[in-house]
Amino acid sequence: MKGYLGIDIGSISTKGVVIDEDNNIIASEYLYTEGDPMGAVKRLLKVLETQLQGKDVNIVSVGTTGSARKLIGVMTNASVVKNEITAHAIGTTTLHPDVNTIFEIGGQDSKIILIENGYVVDYAMNTLCAVGTGSFLSSQAHRLGVSVEEFGEIALRSKHPTNIAARCTVFAESDLVHKAQIGHSKEDIIAGLCKAVVTNYLNNIGKGKKFTPPIVFQGGVSKNVGVKKAFEDAVGHEVIVDPNGHLMGAFGVAVLAKRSNIEKDFSFDIIDTNFKTIGFDCQKCANHCEIVCVYKDNKLIDAWGNKCDNGAVKIS
Amino acid sequence: MKVGIPRALLFYKNEKLWTKFFDELGIEYIISPETNKEIIENGSKYAIDETCLPIKIFLGHVDYLKDKCDYVFIPVIKTAQNTETCLNFRAQFDLIKNAFRKDDLKILFYNEDSGKKYKEPKAFKKLCKYLKIKRSLGKYAYRLAKQTQLYYEFFRTERQEDIMNTTNKLKVLVSAHAYNVGDKYVGEPIINMLKKLNVEPIIAEYFDAKKCYNASLQVSKTMPWSYNRHLLGAIELYRDKVDGIVLITTYPCGPDSMCNEMIIRTYKDIPIITLTIDAQDATAGIETRLEAFYDMLNAKKE
Repeated sequence: MKGYLGIDIGSISTKGVVIDEDNNIIASEYLYTEGDPMGAVKRLLKVLETQLQGKDVNIVSVGTTGSARKLIGVMTNASVVKNEITAHAIGTTTLHPDVNTIFEIGGQDSKIILIENGYVVDYAMNTLCAVGTGSFLSSQAHRLGVSVEEFGEIALRSKHPTNIAARCTVFAESDLVHKAQIGHSKEDIIAGLCKAVVTNYLNNIGKGKKFTPPIVFQGGVSKNVGVKKAFEDAVGHEVIVDPNGHLMGAFGVAVLAKRSNIEKDFSFDIIDTNFKTIGFDCQKCANHCEIVCVYKDNKLIDAWGNKCDNGAVKIS
Repeated sequence: MKVGIPRALLFYKNEKLWTKFFDELGIEYIISPETNKEIIENGSKYAIDETCLPIKIFLGHVDYLKDKCDYVFIPVIKTAQNTETCLNFRAQFDLIKNAFRKDDLKILFYNEDSGKKYKEPKAFKKLCKYLKIKRSLGKYAYRLAKQTQLYYEFFRTERQEDIMNTTNKLKVLVSAHAYNVGDKYVGEPIINMLKKLNVEPIIAEYFDAKKCYNASLQVSKTMPWSYNRHLLGAIELYRDKVDGIVLITTYPCGPDSMCNEMIIRTYKDIPIITLTIDAQDATAGIETRLEAFYDMLNAKKE
């Protein structure tokens, strides 16, 4: 049986999905990147390999997406290296063909994708600011002494969510401390935070856009029921959260790898192969570009980062 | 006497005019090199943190020129097409004078205000007087230079219209100020990325200024800022001929922040993305957005 592997390497988490020719997920894994994309992918592949044991699956094509897509694309000899916006749109429209709006909140970025008749017609992504993303929520959860996983449950228990300024992470944080000091309960504060994330998202990224149902909410934060409820309250429509919502980018890029019809050799041996990257500042002109070289078993396989031809690294 | 011309801001709009003018009069001049990281870093040292990136780049270019020439050419253009320009252009003389007060910088001053007393010919006349050049000689040089500039712009526009009407590729209208789209550090990487994606970039700035200005009046009668009107007019005129629009803006540009918002709200039937550029090095975020934009346009076309 032919299998297609999709890997989504985000800032916080790494997702991997193996699908068969009918787009069924036969193996999947979600783990934390911990700042080491190559190590995370190796761990991911190890898990996927054990999940596939006993099933006669031959991976013929690999797709990568997420912020480290290029690096991992080189490492896994990928057929498709796609941006995460397209990957998410393809993934979601494959599972929910009638979807019109996708809300996505990840670890570092958040985006909105508007779809008409299966095609992306508009999208927006947060620019310079990371407020209201997963990393914001997890740092606040840490501050309040609760784990991110139970965050949503606690929020649902609240009856009067506290108002928290969500314009900026720094203000939100000081507001939160202040509200806690004057005696607001933890549940209310947590519910307020969920609400703040949603308000900020709709004001920043969803500014001037029309949300037509069906709406799908995905990305790591979609696992948080508190945020989901806050979204439903704010938009006034039901918000669908797919059980595989956190894997949607990886799923989408696996579908793209399948559609590309490019078959390349892939084996799980790369788990034991030694990959390393070396970065250096090019000194050939005043731009001082940061160039990254990727080595496989001490052999240079790719390099990037140069702005001009002076800094081009020759790959023998 | 040696004049230094900073390769920044209005240089991208008047390159031929200025260089030809100095050429004709036999005045030696140097132009600062293409923007690079060093220039931006040096420019940032002279700027307060709230000024926009193009001004920081401009300061960097002046800094580069300060010991390499006798005079630095600092042009001030207060109005264009009878509409005022951004305040930063009007403040340039004072800004440079103040920022470089310790360096004893000599400034060759040029003041153009087409709405009032100093229209372009008169501004050049005054410049000649300052340079102690015979009036007739200066007038001749100006006329030749102006003609060169106009021819250059005319052929540039014509060539672009040709490409626009004949190419089979996806076409994207790049709406960005001349000094952003022409800058090696700011605009060029984006143009190259578009070309790499097999998209034909149509530069809004290359269209005829007068025509665009008139077209912009149909959209808004009250909008200030001449150069933004140019871009708005180009969008109004050519939006049916392109597949999408890319708005490039440098952080934190005041006029752009209002005008681009208006453009997004006015033209709802055409895909638009905004790319905000700061002095950041990583182009990954921009690449992601452009790729997704390309995928979207491609899917739409098919």
